[in-house]
Amino acid sequence: MAHNELILTNVTKRFGGLTAVDDLSMKVAEGQIYGVIGPNGAGKTTVFNCITGIYKSEEGSVNWRGEEIRGLTPYQIVNLGIVRTFQTIRLFSQMSVAENIMSGRHIKSTQRWWHGIIHTPGSRRDELENWHKVKEQLDFFNLGEFAAVPTGSLAYGIQRRVEMARAMAVDPTLLILDEPAAGLNDNETLELLETIFKIRDKGVTVLLIEHDMDMVMEVTDYLTVINFGKKIAEGTPAEIQKNPAVIEAYLGSEDDDE
Amino acid sequence: MDIFLQQLANGLTIGSMFALVALGYTMVYGVMKLINFAHGDMVAASAFVGLTIYTQIMGQAASLAAVIVIFLLTAAVMACIGIILERVAYRPLREAPRLSAVVSALGASLVIQNGIMLIWGPRMKIFPELVPQVYWDFGGVVISLIQVIILALSLFLMVSLYLFVEKTRMGAAIRASSIDQDAARLMGINVNSIIMIIFIIGSSLGAVGGLFIGLYYRGITFNMGWQYGLYAFIAAIIGGIGNIPGAMLGGMLLGLFNAFIAGYISSTWADAFTFILLILILIVRPTGLLGERVAEKV
Amino acid sequence: MKNLKRFGFPIFFVVMAILPFLLDPRWQAVAITFLVFTVVALSQDIILGKSGMFNMGQALFFGMGAYITAILNSQYGWPMLATIPVAILVPALFGILLAGPIVHLRGDYLLVVTIGFNIVFVQVVQNNLGGVTGGPNGIFGLDPMNLFGMQLASQVSVYYFAFAVLLLTLGIMRNLEKSKAGRALHYLREDQLAAESIGINTRSYKIFAFGLGAGIAGLAGTVFATQYAAVSPEAFEFIQSVLFFSIVLVGGSSIPGILLGVFVMFVLPEIFREFATWRFFIFGFAMILAMILRPRGIWPATFGKIPKFLIKESNHGA
Ligand SMILES: Nc1ncnc2c1ncn2[C@@H]1O[C@H](COP(=O)(O)OP(=O)(O)OP(=O)(O)O)[C@@H](O)[C@H]1O
Ligand SMILES: [Mg+2]
Repeated sequence: MAHNELILTNVTKRFGGLTAVDDLSMKVAEGQIYGVIGPNGAGKTTVFNCITGIYKSEEGSVNWRGEEIRGLTPYQIVNLGIVRTFQTIRLFSQMSVAENIMSGRHIKSTQRWWHGIIHTPGSRRDELENWHKVKEQLDFFNLGEFAAVPTGSLAYGIQRRVEMARAMAVDPTLLILDEPAAGLNDNETLELLETIFKIRDKGVTVLLIEHDMDMVMEVTDYLTVINFGKKIAEGTPAEIQKNPAVIEAYLGSEDDDE
Repeated sequence: MDIFLQQLANGLTIGSMFALVALGYTMVYGVMKLINFAHGDMVAASAFVGLTIYTQIMGQAASLAAVIVIFLLTAAVMACIGIILERVAYRPLREAPRLSAVVSALGASLVIQNGIMLIWGPRMKIFPELVPQVYWDFGGVVISLIQVIILALSLFLMVSLYLFVEKTRMGAAIRASSIDQDAARLMGINVNSIIMIIFIIGSSLGAVGGLFIGLYYRGITFNMGWQYGLYAFIAAIIGGIGNIPGAMLGGMLLGLFNAFIAGYISSTWADAFTFILLILILIVRPTGLLGERVAEKV
Repeated sequence: MKNLKRFGFPIFFVVMAILPFLLDPRWQAVAITFLVFTVVALSQDIILGKSGMFNMGQALFFGMGAYITAILNSQYGWPMLATIPVAILVPALFGILLAGPIVHLRGDYLLVVTIGFNIVFVQVVQNNLGGVTGGPNGIFGLDPMNLFGMQLASQVSVYYFAFAVLLLTLGIMRNLEKSKAGRALHYLREDQLAAESIGINTRSYKIFAFGLGAGIAGLAGTVFATQYAAVSPEAFEFIQSVLFFSIVLVGGSSIPGILLGVFVMFVLPEIFREFATWRFFIFGFAMILAMILRPRGIWPATFGKIPKFLIKESNHGA
């Protein structure tokens, strides 16, 4: 079995009478940029929530590196190298950009609880090392000038970057992005694409939800399309573009929008 | 068996007072997601207002008509104070962090409690005997007229409130505002006036509860609001806060529980047992007996 | 803000260090109370301000520390000094045990449950459970603290004991701010789900906050028992918890804000004694007004305490 593979098998998640994710299976291989697309309310975010432990799917299995992670808590899953961002940005809004990114260093820090009461030379060193790691992320995401600014007061596009920087500070193996381009302008979207490629080049597998079809086609290696919680197609972007079921689903949903 | 029946009667009496007060908490919480800490002190204030109306306005008359007037006037006065309270202490903080409103509520509680003390003094006052001392003895189980009145009137008020909330348009608007204030606003509901109505209803019911406390226990003190308020609030939580039938159920259950503790164990430990009950219920059912679980959407 | 750090705190410490020599005994007692209650308010700040948990029972841990010292000294003849570790550890342990089953509760529920703990505690000591708490009258006639052969019998010496405890507490708060654990508390207060999703075991940090806050409050309790050579239930009633709760929030969860809050709540009434009956009436209005004008507190805590090398090239902030 290959390393660093995420395999979902027959995952089903219900909310009362609504089946938000219905018998979904998919496989994300190491080093891929994997896309999940689908109309509004298709259940994409719910899939991510089932992977990251925010919800526990009623049925099916979520397997990461050969280990069952369904039923683990979110923080346990982070410890296994899976980190996510949120569709609606969830930053620690009163805190500065640097402090937000520092939260990503939490699991890497060697400090124990008693270092909150009394520091030791070791904990001081650890503290400093992690701030240096934060610096790396600030530079990578070009956020240096905002380091001390509270995130709540930043422009939307910058907040998105901070959220990614925070996730990357964990040094994840699998980075999960929920609509990272939502609300970005064209320039910012282009930058985002570059960033995602750079992240992949660092050896991080990327799993993302995206609405913007053009962007999905450009950035992903492989796609799963879901509608009403069910998988309706999977394949490379080129294959998906030609798939009649997908075209149907998207045209249908555009009718709904009007 | 005698003790059991006796404490059953006492428990239902206390329980209906808890329930009346609990309704004020639960309705405010339902819409504003705020513990109105001042509510207990409003209840205490009602007893004093009733006392003053009795001595100053009614000339110490205790006819049935006079009693009805005392109840109505007190409820009206407290409803006005409720509206002022909401305007002054809560409305400016609707958009503020949750804890700010909690502190403001605590401040309002201190103001009302100490306002009572400054007006009526720190000593215990004796509430007038508005209801004749009539007792019935059913083979050792003694039930008083006042107990019957409290129970009957409370049930009447609770059923009326329930029907109002379930069957009228305004009731529907109240329910809608409890579920989602923003959505209610979008549907054309004037949430400000709903909140005002809730304060009017809650304060009036609390006023009745306060008068009952005066009638039943006779001794009233400026700081009794915390005690009754806390119990009523616990009743609301046990029933599932925000849930109107829940407050009624919780009030009754808590009244019975307390009466049985007093009857079978000892009233010196009543507070401790009450809180242990609360904690156990919250551990088993974090949203109370009738409260619904709401999952946060991510 | 910078000026405050540079001048405000040193001036404060110097003034506090020489204060007893400027005051007569009555005001020395008030000053000790100020120090002790500041420590309790700071301990409450760890739970309420830093971690955002609606704890309205802090007087319980304060009282527990005081009672442990009193009981061990009066009933079992322990020297006062020897009671200190117990008066820290037992409340801390209690904080952990009590917090365990309840920290997941939604804000207001937690608030009511902690009120409950406080009330149960007072009821237990009032009813003289186990026959060691002295019932409603409490326990009198404790020994003076004996520090390395030096008797803390005078008020001035108790003052310095209290001052040392305050300095210790401030030191701990400072370390906390600059540690992984302290930041975790801030993160979980700001957004619990985001904190979980970045790898923080929020539950265990919440319990940690309770344990730490309870331990510090317990130590303050020992100082309190030393000051009066006595303890009694009404000093730990839950109205005290309400005051600590309000001090932290009205102050804004910052050290200057808390100092100000404790001063206003506990020292001002001593100065304006003729207004004693009006005290809470006025405080009530002040609390409402403060929240309306400054919802985040009079002196809100600020963030952005990050190492200098990160803000070198900054043209924002600072
Ligand atoms: N906590 C919840 N409780 C009840 N229903 C939920 C919950 N979370 C999601 N749903 C429902 O599940 C369905 C799928 O939602 P989900 O957020 O996964 O869709 P999505 O594909 O991410 O949509 P979008 O493109 O709008 O983000 C929706 O109908 C939604 O209303
Ligand atoms: Mg989504």
